[in-house]
Amino acid sequence: MTVEKLKELGADTEQGLMRCGNNQEFYLRLVGMALEQKGYDELEKQIKENRLTEAFEAAHALKGVLANLSLTPIYEPVSEMTEMLRAKQEADYSPLLAKMWEERKRFIE
Amino acid sequence: MVTQNDFVKSRLSMKRRILIVDDEEINRLMLGNILEDDYEVLLAADGSEALNVAKNEKQRLSLILLDLHMPVMDGYEFFEKVREDEALKDVPVIVLTSEKEAEVRSLKMGAADFIPKPYDIPEVIHTRIDRIIQLYEGRNIITATQFDTLTGLFNREYFCEYSTIFDQYYPEGSKELIALNINRFHVINAVHGREFGDRVLAAIGKTVKEYAGETKGLACRYSADQFYLYLNGEGNGEELYAAINNALNELLGNSDTRVRMGIYKEAEKEADISKRMELALLACNSTKQDPGRHISCYDEKIREKEHYDELLIHDLDKAIAEKQFKVFYQPKYGVQGEKPVLSSAEALIRWVHPELGMISPGKFIPLFENNGLIGKVDRYVWKEAAAQIAQWEKKYGIKIPVSVNVSRVDIMSEDLADELETIVKEAGIETADYYLEVTESAYTDNQADMISLVKGMKDKGFTIEMDDFGTGYSSLNMLNELPFDVLKLDMVFVRNIHKDERALKLVEFIMGIAKYLKVKVVAEGVEYKEQYEILKEMGCDVIQGYYFSKPVCAEDFEAFIKERTESEVQG
Repeated sequence: MTVEKLKELGADTEQGLMRCGNNQEFYLRLVGMALEQKGYDELEKQIKENRLTEAFEAAHALKGVLANLSLTPIYEPVSEMTEMLRAKQEADYSPLLAKMWEERKRFIE
Repeated sequence: MVTQNDFVKSRLSMKRRILIVDDEEINRLMLGNILEDDYEVLLAADGSEALNVAKNEKQRLSLILLDLHMPVMDGYEFFEKVREDEALKDVPVIVLTSEKEAEVRSLKMGAADFIPKPYDIPEVIHTRIDRIIQLYEGRNIITATQFDTLTGLFNREYFCEYSTIFDQYYPEGSKELIALNINRFHVINAVHGREFGDRVLAAIGKTVKEYAGETKGLACRYSADQFYLYLNGEGNGEELYAAINNALNELLGNSDTRVRMGIYKEAEKEADISKRMELALLACNSTKQDPGRHISCYDEKIREKEHYDELLIHDLDKAIAEKQFKVFYQPKYGVQGEKPVLSSAEALIRWVHPELGMISPGKFIPLFENNGLIGKVDRYVWKEAAAQIAQWEKKYGIKIPVSVNVSRVDIMSEDLADELETIVKEAGIETADYYLEVTESAYTDNQADMISLVKGMKDKGFTIEMDDFGTGYSSLNMLNELPFDVLKLDMVFVRNIHKDERALKLVEFIMGIAKYLKVKVVAEGVEYKEQYEILKEMGCDVIQGYYFSKPVCAEDFEAFIKERTESEVQG
């Protein structure tokens, strides 16, 4: 994993790096943590069990981390879900969840 | 000299401790990375963990960075807990949030600032944090000096300072400046002790603070028992007065110790805060003239009186030089013989002002007593009266003793007895024919000085009269300690003696004391025949009052002297 690769995938690496004091190593370490964290599973689980409040908490937390690291492609579906969950929308979340997983997968590979 | 700014600066050069509270490890690490070069960073993953860390650190924490969305204990709950904690409540909290709504809510809760998510560039975060720490440290230093420790109210400097800011915040609407002090506070201290006096002040302070809080106002303790409030709106007086009375009732029971208040309405119209305070205080002091009144508003009447008083003060020296003051004499009659006989006189001052005409002593004596100028007036009377005694003795061949007033400020003068002796000798009369009236309240103020002074005057042969007996607050022990010759029964006791059983009993009681102490009693303010007869019957030695004559000028007084000399010739 390199900064160039992340940029290619659509991350706003300049912003993300800036927040890490332009320390590439530190940035990449945090990105690695962000991709591996259990927040995604947690979000999917809460949505499937229709616990919208808990799902919102999970989405909100995930969104914050992704925003700070500027992992924009994953951030976007999560952010959208966060707003829907905040409004307690009983919608079909599966397309957005799928998009989230798909983007994450691209970053991991 | 270390200034407040130096103090803040020097403290800022040390490494501050910051607690970051966020459940997301990545966020914690990211902020920690930004801050760790300049700060010592502590981390917590939720509110409950943060509380433990914060409590262990106590005052050594300089700042808390707080995420709002957290499991176990969320940011809001943590924030409330911090605010309730004595050691943590002054630590500034910066909220980390991605929502506008939360920003507003946390600022309203008392957050010092917020840092939006996703994070801004590190320099911005740094600057925000530095600024907040500096601000709060400075604020805590200011807090320590701006409040009166006993009451928690502002001290006088900050009251004046904040009143300007208050005006800027509330430019609209009417405001009131209220001056407030306690009736006879020195008596509370003297009777119950200073510690109790402090409790009274603290109770008033608490009520005043609550009142100012509710009505968006400022309050300070200016000095001893002097408070000021600067309030929005009108008609605060009655409500505040009732609240303070309630608080004092708990402490003092049914004591008649009460506060008095002066209100300067539409205070915003006067630009100078110290002038506003002065005018409110003038109104406050004006209630002294009217015992039934506790609240007074500054108005045209007080304004006129203020100008009038200033004029009198200004004209005093000239009045003495030009002999505008006239000494009047009110005869006193010995009443225990077959017929009342003129025994002596009391010297009373009048001021015939070239422009204002005759000024009643009630208008200038309290004024000059308050500012100490009464000493000049007294000395004028002392000399005039001494000369008058000598003149009458020469003209009619009899000695008519005259009593003169010795004011409280005169008692402060160490060589007073010598001074009086010189006046008397220069006039060519004897000290025994010169009566000195000292008031009981002077004894309440300063017992030791008063005792030595009275003894000194007595040694020189002066006759000492205790004036206004029963209206001061001294103990009966005063009667034992002060070697006086005459007890003057104040007119308030005499007034209802013929109508009221209780008044009668009281006078009887005082007469009994005088008899026991073997001192003479002079009754003042006797107007009616009934009063005269009752007092005579009780054994009162000397009577003074309109029943015999009002005070008259020296020339007219000679008629009384002639009457006595003629009756002596006939007798």
